[in-house]
Amino acid sequence: MARCGGTRNGGSKQSDLTRRDVLALTAIGLVAGAPAAAAATAPGGQLTWAIHVSLAPTWFDPAETEALITPYMVLYALHDAMVKQMPGKTQTPCLAESWSSSPDGLSYEFVLRKGAKFHNGEPVTADDVKFSFERYHGAAHQLMKDNVAAIETPDPQHVRFKLKKPWPDFITFYSTASGSGWIVPRKYVEQVGNEGFKKAPIGAGPYKFVSFTPGIELVLEAFDEYWRKPPGVKRLVMKVIPDEATRLAALKRGEVDIAYSVRSELAEELQRTPGLTLKPVVLQAPNWLYFPEQWDPKSPWHDLRVRQAANLAIDREGMSQALFLGYCKITNSIIPYTFDFYWQPPAAVYDPAKAKKLLAEAGYASGFDAGLLYCDSSYSNMAEVSLDNLQQIGIRAQLQPIERAAFFAGYVDKKYTRGIIQGASGAFGNAATRLASFVVNGGAYTYGSYPDIDELFSQQAGELDHEKRAAILDKMQQLVHEKAIYAPIWQLGFLNGVGPRVGESAFGLIAGFAYTAPFEDITIKGA
Amino acid sequence: MSTQAETVALPPRFRWRRVSLRLGDFPLIPTLILAGVAFVAIFANVLAPHNPEVGSLVARFKPPFWETGGSAKYLLGTDQLGRDVLSRLIFGARVSMVVGFTAVIFAGVIGTALGILSGYLGGWVDQVIMRLTDTWLALPALTFAIFLAAIVGPSMWNIVIILGITYWTRYARVIRGEVLSLKEREFVRLAIVAGCSKWTIMRRHILPNVINSAIVLGSLMLGVVIITEATLSFLGVGVPPPQPAWGLMLSDGKQGLMVGRWWLTVFPGCCIMLMVLSANLLGDWLRVKLDPQLRQL
Amino acid sequence: MKQYIGRRVGYSLLSLFLLSLTIFFFVRVTGDPAALLVEPGASPADIAAIHHQFGLDRPLWVQYGIFMASLFHGDLGQSFYYRMPVMGLYLSRLPNSLLLAVVAMGLSLLIGIPSGILAAVRVGRFWDSVGKLFALLGLSLPSFWVGLVLILVFSVYLGWLPSSGAGTPLHLIMPAFALGWYFAAAHMRLTRSSMLEVLGSEYVKLARIKGLPQSLVIAKHAFKNALIPVLTLAGINLVIMVNVAVVVETVFAWPGIGRLLYEGIAFRDFPVVQGVVIMGGAMIVTVNLLIDILYAVIDPRIRLER
Repeated sequence: MARCGGTRNGGSKQSDLTRRDVLALTAIGLVAGAPAAAAATAPGGQLTWAIHVSLAPTWFDPAETEALITPYMVLYALHDAMVKQMPGKTQTPCLAESWSSSPDGLSYEFVLRKGAKFHNGEPVTADDVKFSFERYHGAAHQLMKDNVAAIETPDPQHVRFKLKKPWPDFITFYSTASGSGWIVPRKYVEQVGNEGFKKAPIGAGPYKFVSFTPGIELVLEAFDEYWRKPPGVKRLVMKVIPDEATRLAALKRGEVDIAYSVRSELAEELQRTPGLTLKPVVLQAPNWLYFPEQWDPKSPWHDLRVRQAANLAIDREGMSQALFLGYCKITNSIIPYTFDFYWQPPAAVYDPAKAKKLLAEAGYASGFDAGLLYCDSSYSNMAEVSLDNLQQIGIRAQLQPIERAAFFAGYVDKKYTRGIIQGASGAFGNAATRLASFVVNGGAYTYGSYPDIDELFSQQAGELDHEKRAAILDKMQQLVHEKAIYAPIWQLGFLNGVGPRVGESAFGLIAGFAYTAPFEDITIKGA
Repeated sequence: MSTQAETVALPPRFRWRRVSLRLGDFPLIPTLILAGVAFVAIFANVLAPHNPEVGSLVARFKPPFWETGGSAKYLLGTDQLGRDVLSRLIFGARVSMVVGFTAVIFAGVIGTALGILSGYLGGWVDQVIMRLTDTWLALPALTFAIFLAAIVGPSMWNIVIILGITYWTRYARVIRGEVLSLKEREFVRLAIVAGCSKWTIMRRHILPNVINSAIVLGSLMLGVVIITEATLSFLGVGVPPPQPAWGLMLSDGKQGLMVGRWWLTVFPGCCIMLMVLSANLLGDWLRVKLDPQLRQL
Repeated sequence: MKQYIGRRVGYSLLSLFLLSLTIFFFVRVTGDPAALLVEPGASPADIAAIHHQFGLDRPLWVQYGIFMASLFHGDLGQSFYYRMPVMGLYLSRLPNSLLLAVVAMGLSLLIGIPSGILAAVRVGRFWDSVGKLFALLGLSLPSFWVGLVLILVFSVYLGWLPSSGAGTPLHLIMPAFALGWYFAAAHMRLTRSSMLEVLGSEYVKLARIKGLPQSLVIAKHAFKNALIPVLTLAGINLVIMVNVAVVVETVFAWPGIGRLLYEGIAFRDFPVVQGVVIMGGAMIVTVNLLIDILYAVIDPRIRLER
């Protein structure tokens, strides 16, 4: 660039080119920009969402469902499952009218719902169910394949799953914990292929696919022949708006009707704005502090009293008020309260005076330097408060926010052996799967373990009796609590906004689900 | 290297510049502002009324003292965690000064050194450095900075390093161009005849003559660096909280804008603006005074 | 001349090659995409399956070889996140980015050129200061903040402009301004110095001596010539704008390539990051190459340099 002004002679040639370039670029821009013009809003018949994450086409295909909650934001609209979580009930028969299991626990038989159709008008058959299960290759597919021996389809209305061994969690995984029970039309998928299916998906859900611009916008249209009932709104538009403040601005202006994830101060503003409603949802994602140094006899954290003090120091209620308007659920466990085998611990207590006393008893009357507090940078506001709380009783640490991907990679690679970790997990499963990952020796996120807990874990793994297994898992969770391995904080509150045109937003109808669902229940006011 | 080529790059003009610092159009106010920021940064411990990193959730979102609900205890109000905004601004000056100046100097030292080596030694050294510069320039600075931040993780000193190795190319190119012309000047030739080593020539004869350009560039880069630092905070990879940095305060407080808590962003925004504007005005003045060649920066 | 062009093209290809190498290995040390495609707490088996699916379990040099081989066929690979060809994604976003950059450049020149001229011909006067300050202000405020203030004022309070998204010319105004304002100062500075240089030149002096009025001298003789370097810079900056609009695109939810790249980095979507960076790099390198060659055409002596 230092050359630009060096010579003036012959410069006209240059400027001509530049001008021509600009014109050419303008032309491209204008021509290509034109078709992107906003779709005309059909009055009354359309609702628009402001989505906080980038929409991915993998979410249109249940077979791709990873161990992630976000795809269900779209799955509930486009597709339907044999059994899925619905309002008031976790395992609700949907495309399956009913199911039964054999007394030996080795076989499950589903009866398909009559009249359930795909968007192309073809009926949902047993063949589609078998096909959908077999093509599923998302998160839990290895687990499913290890347990399911065969699928029989005696007639188009009946499907029988044969298991290799009794597996009491089968329905849990087939319904909520994986995408394997969501049904796609075999004929269509075979005709267009996996890639083609993601470009123009056909499902059995309440809404049909209309168009998709990757990362930008998804348009859906009501499927009037949906078995449960015809949807209440003709057209749904899901727009990606990455910035939180912009989502609120769009909601205020009426450009969108429903905005996902509007936090703290913006949520307050939302609450104050006439016509807008705040819709809080509690997620199945507990947050906690973890003390990886507790197995090092030289560390202060080795002393139980120090860990108990840290637990007592955290003002969970104040933090929830400050950051989430008090909409987080304070649970005192690292396992979501909705999980199977959840053990209810005593309520979390905030008592800095007692915490200081415990620290003094442990020999740290003047506190100590705890090194770094590692956290996912998108939750550094929480960590800032924890840090402040710990500081109040004399535990001094420095915040080390790490960008999400790098943080979880570091967590699982066991890089944070010193200091404190602020962790979280939204993974599906039950109490046993959580304990396996976070407490028991060999777990992906376990930095150390206690022999008595490990022993109990191997006991329950071989226990087929549900009651006995539950008792062991209770005992384990009790030990986790007593040893103060973690300082659980809460289950995160997810705050959303709803505009004045919306009748029923369907937020919170399904317990623990972050997004609007079921979509067929959503209505426009007055319509 | 032909003499002809050099005459294109620079008109023949002796470049021992002895610039008279006339006070006529001297940007007095910007200089005072920068000096003020430096003063505040140095004496932050004495000046700040509160601990900038500790707050109480009870005292969140207090407005400045002249608004209803404000108090003299927190002159400019408190933030989302109840920390004193004024104290954070005062300590933030320190972070901005440290990040701004060290990053600019860091980039300047790398860029100037490589620019001199490249320009004076020529040959394969020049080739290597220039190809490296080309590659760097093909990668937008902000993208590059985000990458580095993701790799090294956030800390104030990491941000300095990131900004330094993102922006050194700007110096390298300009300095190299200057060196190419300086090389052909009488005094350099005389030094060669007198038997000075390459190293001595670069250090004693070339460096003092490009330092002006480096300073001008530096003053203009200061603004760029501070804005980039703030932008990295917006993207979540800047100076880590709870450290008080203006960019971080601006990014943390941006949501308050929508809610009417203007003091959370307006104060740090003004601080950034005043500092960057001053640096730019001073830089523009220096540019005209010291180095008319650096016109298209 | 041919030799010179050949050498320049060679250099450009070399820097693109170095860029591909840098970005390829860089992006791989920033983290693991699998960690983001599952909820934290997922089993190592889930993660290994994703690695296998994306070919991340192969040796690095094999991955690089595959990447380069497909690059030669104009294939930038499949996005991990969107599961579609990166080239298609890129091309679907590019028009938006170009449109935004062109309008932003227009606004930027609209601010930069007049204030630059004022600064050159009315040194030290009131309007000079105002123009200069306004141009410099754009450089002195982070664009995310400018963007949010614009949304607050023009969308929320006044209700004149849509807050975000794309579609109508109205959607363009705020993002283009936020982006263009930042570049205005550079154009102002160059206009000013180039004006001063032209005003000091012999033929302008001659025009003055001939007794032509000052305004005519400025408008007819000086301005036209002073504009040339400014427009050259505008050409370069246009390409840069296309590639650096990350923040503006995020704030205004503008569907351009800046956001594609930023989300690519956030999701560790290696093919997207590689693709966008290499396409951007190719654009920048090409523009620089064109300018180099043009200068060489204009002034044969440059060819001898280097």
